[in-house]
Amino acid sequence: MVSKKRVLLSRRQVLKAGAVTTLAIGLGMNPTVLKADTGKEAPKSPNQIGFLYDQGKCINCKMCAMACKGANNWEEGTEWRRVLTGGEDNKHYLSYSCNHCEKPACAQVCPVLAYKKRDKDGIVVHNPDVCVGCKYCMYACPYHVPQFSPVTGRINKCHFCYQRQDNGEKPACVAKCPTGALSFGKLSEIRKTPGAVSQLEGIPDPEITRPSWALVAKS
Amino acid sequence: MHHWHWLIVIYLFLGGLGAGTYLTSFAAEKGWLGNNSHLKRAGYYLAAPIVAFGTILLVFDLGQGLHKPWLLIRLLFNLGSVMTWGVYILSAFIIVGLIKGYLVFKNKTAPGALTWAGAVLALATCAYTGLLVAVVEAVPFWNTMLMPFLFVASALSTGLSLTALIAHFIENEGQSSIREGQAHLGIIAVELVIVAMFFGIMVSGAKGSAGVESAYLALFGPYAPVFWGYFIVLGLLLPLVVFGREYLKNKQFARTVTTEPSSIRIETAATAQGHQASFLNLATDVSVLVGGLALRALIIFVALPVWDGRIL
Repeated sequence: MVSKKRVLLSRRQVLKAGAVTTLAIGLGMNPTVLKADTGKEAPKSPNQIGFLYDQGKCINCKMCAMACKGANNWEEGTEWRRVLTGGEDNKHYLSYSCNHCEKPACAQVCPVLAYKKRDKDGIVVHNPDVCVGCKYCMYACPYHVPQFSPVTGRINKCHFCYQRQDNGEKPACVAKCPTGALSFGKLSEIRKTPGAVSQLEGIPDPEITRPSWALVAKS
Repeated sequence: MHHWHWLIVIYLFLGGLGAGTYLTSFAAEKGWLGNNSHLKRAGYYLAAPIVAFGTILLVFDLGQGLHKPWLLIRLLFNLGSVMTWGVYILSAFIIVGLIKGYLVFKNKTAPGALTWAGAVLALATCAYTGLLVAVVEAVPFWNTMLMPFLFVASALSTGLSLTALIAHFIENEGQSSIREGQAHLGIIAVELVIVAMFFGIMVSGAKGSAGVESAYLALFGPYAPVFWGYFIVLGLLLPLVVFGREYLKNKQFARTVTTEPSSIRIETAATAQGHQASFLNLATDVSVLVGGLALRALIIFVALPVWDGRIL
């Protein structure tokens, strides 16, 4: 007998669609990490070093960026250290470079192993001589630190002046900061600075990569 | 803040397309697309060359691709990087795909293990292109595990379309079956559900404000014509209507010709009425391909980073 039913959707099909939908929801909603106060937490490695930046002391002179450029010969089109301006009064600054993260996303995604995190001090060093210029790290880093030079076809980024540090010198940026807004030290120490946090308003969740920096926000 | 451009978009599209054509011919060979399907061979010929061509585009996009090509061997080094996984998967797929294609061309029987290995690698290829972006936490629009599923669905759909198109012009053997249209209808329906879920998640804010902004760029912003026109209408709704109409027509036809409950009879009747290569079907296959490319372009171009690089 020919069925008179006009509804072509069977129970089985509905169940199937339901199962697909549930699977899709389940896969799409990744569990969000419970927010921890990274700023106060002890770093995983006791040797990890990081930058300490005091927003209240910064006068936007950009000596840090210029010192960095001079010391490290930035390849054309790359900026290893930047000073951002913001805030309602346009007088809030942020001088930053690589955060030498505890969970460096750049190193995680880099197919050619151009990034190495040193055991000695946790500095994340990028070796441009083996970089193939795929730019995957540029997407992975929430802070836009790895930068591509169209001239040399490879990535460049801050290496915390590790050679200078191995010789007992300070990083170029810290050495040239006239107000002491920028300093560096063991992460476990600089995190104890009064008012130190690891995230300013509008800046990515530190849980993504656990940046090794300490920031003192201007009130 | 786009670091990847058209070469990568086309590469992602071709990776899925080549994998999809392999899987189409694989399904046809297994009889899943009807008896003596005309799609048994064309997809095998297309798969490896398409993926290989996409891979060449990828090399051109690398800063060192033409400058210091010997560095490329290092792409195999980081076993924790999805990109490295992709290099292994693509290389293996291109080799297996070439062998399978050659054997089919020479009318020789390929070992079952090789054919199956190719199918697994094809699935891995299209899933990998989605996983490559899905693991990037700093780009919320990419960072959902729906992404590989969306890429697989689109790969199957575009692969089926291209294989049907090419088979129409080069294949003299075999026949088309209503199963093709049914399979395509199912794939498109699943893809639509995934797309709806995906935008639901983004717009809901579950992936943060950058996810919402990215979704708005596609839904209402400068990319809306590409999203609604090329992807939704040409890539999904048109095939949904065309294949859906065919499905309903065949279902009714099968009912009317059947006076006795013989399933074989239904099958023959339906095949006779069949999935005929009408102009509309061929045009639909082209429009599916346009939609697939539009999807890859949207995914790369509307992706906003979690941080816009400004302080408040």
